[in-house]
Amino acid sequence: MFVLGIETSCDETAAALVTDGKVVLSNKIATQLDLLQKFGGVVPEIAARRHTELIVYVIKEALDSAGKTLADVGAIAVTSKQGLIGCLLVGVAAAKSLSYSLRIPLIGVHHIEGHIFANLLSNPQIPMPHICLTVSGGHTMLVYVQDYCQYELLGSTLDDAAGEAFDKIAKFLDLGFPGGPVIDKLAVRGNRKAFNFPRPLLKAKTLDFSFSGLKTAIINAFKHRIANGETLPLEDIAASFQEAIVDVLVSKTLHAVLQRKVSAISVTGGVSANRRLREVFRETCRQKGIEVFFPELSFCTDNAAMIAAAGYARLKLGEADDLNLNVIPNVPLEVQGGS
Amino acid sequence: MKVLGIDTSGYANAVGVIDDNQVLADFTFEARNDSLEKIVANIDFVLKKAGLSLEDIEGFGVGLGPGSWTGIKVGVTVGKILAFSTNKPVSGVPTLEVLAYQARNMPGLICPIINAGAGDTIYAAFYRTKDGTVSRAGEYYVGDIQGLAEMVKEPTVFIGAEAQAYSRLINQALGSPDDIRAIEDVPRGSVVALLAATCLERGENDDVLSLTPLYLKESTAKAFINRYSRSVQAKG
Repeated sequence: MFVLGIETSCDETAAALVTDGKVVLSNKIATQLDLLQKFGGVVPEIAARRHTELIVYVIKEALDSAGKTLADVGAIAVTSKQGLIGCLLVGVAAAKSLSYSLRIPLIGVHHIEGHIFANLLSNPQIPMPHICLTVSGGHTMLVYVQDYCQYELLGSTLDDAAGEAFDKIAKFLDLGFPGGPVIDKLAVRGNRKAFNFPRPLLKAKTLDFSFSGLKTAIINAFKHRIANGETLPLEDIAASFQEAIVDVLVSKTLHAVLQRKVSAISVTGGVSANRRLREVFRETCRQKGIEVFFPELSFCTDNAAMIAAAGYARLKLGEADDLNLNVIPNVPLEVQGGS
Repeated sequence: MKVLGIDTSGYANAVGVIDDNQVLADFTFEARNDSLEKIVANIDFVLKKAGLSLEDIEGFGVGLGPGSWTGIKVGVTVGKILAFSTNKPVSGVPTLEVLAYQARNMPGLICPIINAGAGDTIYAAFYRTKDGTVSRAGEYYVGDIQGLAEMVKEPTVFIGAEAQAYSRLINQALGSPDDIRAIEDVPRGSVVALLAATCLERGENDDVLSLTPLYLKESTAKAFINRYSRSVQAKG
């Protein structure tokens, strides 16, 4: 069955066509990078307006590039939970109208569940159960994935998301937006041990994260030098900052692995594209005999293929939503079915 | 021509179906915060009342606002997707024009007023009637009611959900109550359909890919940034 996925929970207008939750026929994303760079981040109302402009265009692109028409589509999956309310509702309005017009099933998907499936699209061999670290500009979460569509949230960030910390540090150092790729690139030429930045909650027993203290520590360490017009060792700051984040993410994830006695880790979300994060995870997991999986780069950031895959899994469990489907901007991952 | 019209720009949402000049079904429902939840199910309800299915519809009309930012995004997206998925044309209609049309039989100038939902700000425009149609005279107005009152120079009928209250304020400002009338009304889906049908019959379709709501007012963030960049320029 061809499932059309729609994702508009934040700043990407995305549509994708996926066969049986496995084969991605198309995966189209209209990014709002021009707006993000102009405003230095996501402005919810402006992002939602852009979704309204682009949604039909992106759906048409997803169909055309897959060589399919709407008549071929068997079901519609849409991100209806977790995100910016004004943004989510554009995707859900489109999905409901399509479901009604084409008389095909409709299923609302939790955005984080989409990220879990993003890695299953790239690596269908990921064993169950496993630990999934979803790490992006909006989320930092450790999830125990017991089986398809069965989750337990183990920990999440208490303040900034990891990707948000990258963005804010990049902004502070005047490196542009988004911060992740810029810092990743700069860090290659830097010394990871040049500065010993704090690793918040590293030794604590909790599986929660906190990144705002790290951000503040860096700002406090360099703001006077910036004010005095000094040239900063940007490469070293980037490498040391990135190392602190990677250290926390890897340690907490391994902690969760030990706690739940699983043998596999799935790392998803925009920050899972970070090269140092991948390197440290691979090296550490190799030493400990744990399998670690990363999505291919096009499935790291927000996309609709992962929503189509998650929606297909839920449809197979006999779930479906009706035309009264609504958006829920903030809801735990475990709360599924009925909205 | 069978046309489905929808408008979700205000607290009252509207769906209507016409066949040429005949209204087949018309339904208005309260949807202050739940346009998204209600709209598609109510489109189905209205089509059933009209004895039609979506395949029978030959064109779509969408109220473009101005009004609730959240509301219009829902209606415009639904209208675009229905047109796209049934491969039928769509025409966007300014909601102020829909209201003006609903007052077309009144003498004098017509002034629809929509509450902008933020403080005292209103959206308005003046329309003149000619041969049973209305056409806008001048620019859209975004501002407070006192500013609008200053623009009233001749007998005018105000129409909108809160037209009575607004007309009282205008009367106070003018001091001549005789020529000011008010009609309390909300946009009708059948009127959206009728005005859209007029455009569609002339071949004046909107582009289903790029059709967007009429916001009139910039989002606060954008307005803030524009002000900020202006003040930076002024300083520099």
